[in-house]
Amino acid sequence: MASAFTVLRRLYLSVYNWIVFIGWFQVLFLALKTLKESGHEQLYNAVEKPLLLAQSAAVLEILHGLIGLVRSPVSSTLPQIGSRLYLTWGILWSFPEIRTHVLVTSLVISWAITEIIRYSFFGMKEAFGFAPSWHLWLRYSTFLVLYPTGISSEVGLIYFTLPYIKASEKYCIRMPNKWNFSFDYLYAAILALGIYVPGSPHMYRYMLGQRKRALSKSKKE
Amino acid sequence: MKVTLVSRSGREFIKGGLELNDSATVADLQEAIHKRTKKFYPSRQRLTLPVPSGSRERPVVLNYKKNLKDYCDGNENSLTLVFKDLGPQVSYRTLFFFEYLGPLILYPAFYYFPVYKFFGYEEKRVIHPVQTYALYYWCFHYFKRIMETFFVHRFSHATSPLSNVFRNCAYYWSFGSYIAYYVNHPLYTPVGDLQMKIGFGFGVVCQLANFYCHIILKNLRSPDGSGGYQIPRGFLFNIVTCANYTTEIYQWLGFNIATQTVAGYVFLVVATSIMTNWALAKHRRLKKLFDGKDGRPKYPRSSSAFSHCLLRDFGCLVSRRSAIACSETLVASSAGAQPLLSPRLWLPRRRSAYSIVLYC
Repeated sequence: MASAFTVLRRLYLSVYNWIVFIGWFQVLFLALKTLKESGHEQLYNAVEKPLLLAQSAAVLEILHGLIGLVRSPVSSTLPQIGSRLYLTWGILWSFPEIRTHVLVTSLVISWAITEIIRYSFFGMKEAFGFAPSWHLWLRYSTFLVLYPTGISSEVGLIYFTLPYIKASEKYCIRMPNKWNFSFDYLYAAILALGIYVPGSPHMYRYMLGQRKRALSKSKKE
Repeated sequence: MKVTLVSRSGREFIKGGLELNDSATVADLQEAIHKRTKKFYPSRQRLTLPVPSGSRERPVVLNYKKNLKDYCDGNENSLTLVFKDLGPQVSYRTLFFFEYLGPLILYPAFYYFPVYKFFGYEEKRVIHPVQTYALYYWCFHYFKRIMETFFVHRFSHATSPLSNVFRNCAYYWSFGSYIAYYVNHPLYTPVGDLQMKIGFGFGVVCQLANFYCHIILKNLRSPDGSGGYQIPRGFLFNIVTCANYTTEIYQWLGFNIATQTVAGYVFLVVATSIMTNWALAKHRRLKKLFDGKDGRPKYPRSSSAFSHCLLRDFGCLVSRRSAIACSETLVASSAGAQPLLSPRLWLPRRRSAYSIVLYC
C-alpha cells in the first residue's frame, strides 16, 4: 500500500543516495588515478571538489533523521557527520599545509570505500526494495577495517595540523569584547582529539551491534 | 504468604522465594530481601509486578508503604514479583551537597587566586565592582542551595544512582568553572551601571521568590518526607506548576544581564531546557494523578506547565493558544479559583488531606 508520501520519500531518497554515491565514486577514482600518476602529495587537489560536495551533502542526513524520513537515530549520525565535516572543512580546507601529508591518502580512501558501499546499499534498498546479501555483508563488515584506518587518519591529521593552527590564529576570538567571550581554535582541536578517546570505541561498538542485528536478521529470513 | 522473586530475564532471583506475614508491607519484603542478599539494601531494589511478555505497558512499581496484599491479584497466598538492582544509591542530600560544593569553591578560586597566570596573563589586574558583586551573588546562590538541601527540602524515600554524582558534578563544576573563568577574566568588559543594578536586583528578587517557593513545597510534606505528590498552591504555583524552576531560571537571567558573558547565557539555555523537561514531566504526572476521580482533587486546568510562562496575560499577547488559555483562566476564576490579585493567593494555606479535597 504505497501512499503518495511513501512513493515521494522513496524517490527522493533514491535520488539522494545515488547522487552522493556518484560523488564518492568520483573521489575514489580520482584518488587512485592521482596516486598512480603523480603521488600522494597531489591527491587532495585532485579530489577536492567532489570530496567537499559529497561530504557536505551528508548534512542532509541529519535533517532526514530529524524529520523522520529515515530511521537512523540522530544521536549516531551527528557525531559521525560532525567528525567528517570537521576534518573536511576545519582541517583540510582551512589549513593547506597539511594537504600533502600521507595520511590524507589513507583518510580519503577509507572514507570513499565506506561511503561507496553505504550509499549504493541504501540506494538499492530505496530504489529496488532490496539489496543482495553480499552487499549487506560488505556494508556491515568493511567498517571492521575501515573504521580503524579512517579514525587513525583523522586523529593523525588533526594532531599534525596543531602547529599550523597555533601559528595561524584562524577562527580565534580574543578578549576583550562586549560579550566577554573567547574561542581558541587550538584548544578546540585538542578537545576534539580528546573526544576521539571515548567516541571511537563507542562508535565501533555501535557498528558491531548494528552488524550483529543486520546479519542475524538476514539469516533468519 | 510466599513471595517469589524473579529477575527481568525470568530467572528465579532468590531460590525458594521468601516467606512473609500476610499483613507484611512492601518495606518488610525489602528488609527480608536485604537480609538474604546482604548487598541489596532497600533503596537499591526495584520491585515490579510482572508484565505479560509482549505487553507494552509500563510495569507497576511497588510502593514501599503499601501492603503486599494490595498487590495480590486474587491469590492471597502467593505473589510473584520482578526484581531489578538499581545499582549503588546515594541520598539526594549527598548528591546535591557535592554538586553544589564545586561551584561554591571553584568560582571564588578564579576571583581570589592568580589562576590566569596559567593561561598566559599577567598577575596584575583591575577588579571591577560588578565582578565582586557577581562573586557575592554566585556564592550566596550556591550557599542558599546547600542550606535548602539540609534544612528546607523534604526528600521522599527516593535515592539517586551513584553514577549521577559523577554526571551531575561534571555538569555543575564544569559550567561553574566555565562561567567563573570569563566573569573574573583580566580582560573582562563590564556592562553599564544601570544594567548591572537591574540584573542583580531582578536576580535577588527571583532568588527570594525561589526560596518562598521551596518553603511552600516543603509544607506539602511531613518531616519524614512522606506525603508523596500534592498539588502545590499559592503564590506563583497558581499560575505555573513548577514555580520553583521558573524563579530559578529568571534568577540566572538576572545574573547574566548583570555580567553579560556568552558562557553564562549558554548555561542559562542548558539549565532552562533541563528544568523545562522536568516541569513538563511533573505537570503531566500531577495531571494524571489528580484526575478528579475517587475523591482525588482535579488538577487545575488554568495551570501551565511551562516554567518560563510566568504570566498568562503576557501569553495572551503572544499567541492564539495563549488567548484560549487565558479565557480558561477567567472561567476558572469565576468558578471559584483565586483571582490573580487576591491576597489569599499569595499565602500558603494550612493543609490536611481533607482540606485538599475541599478546595476543589
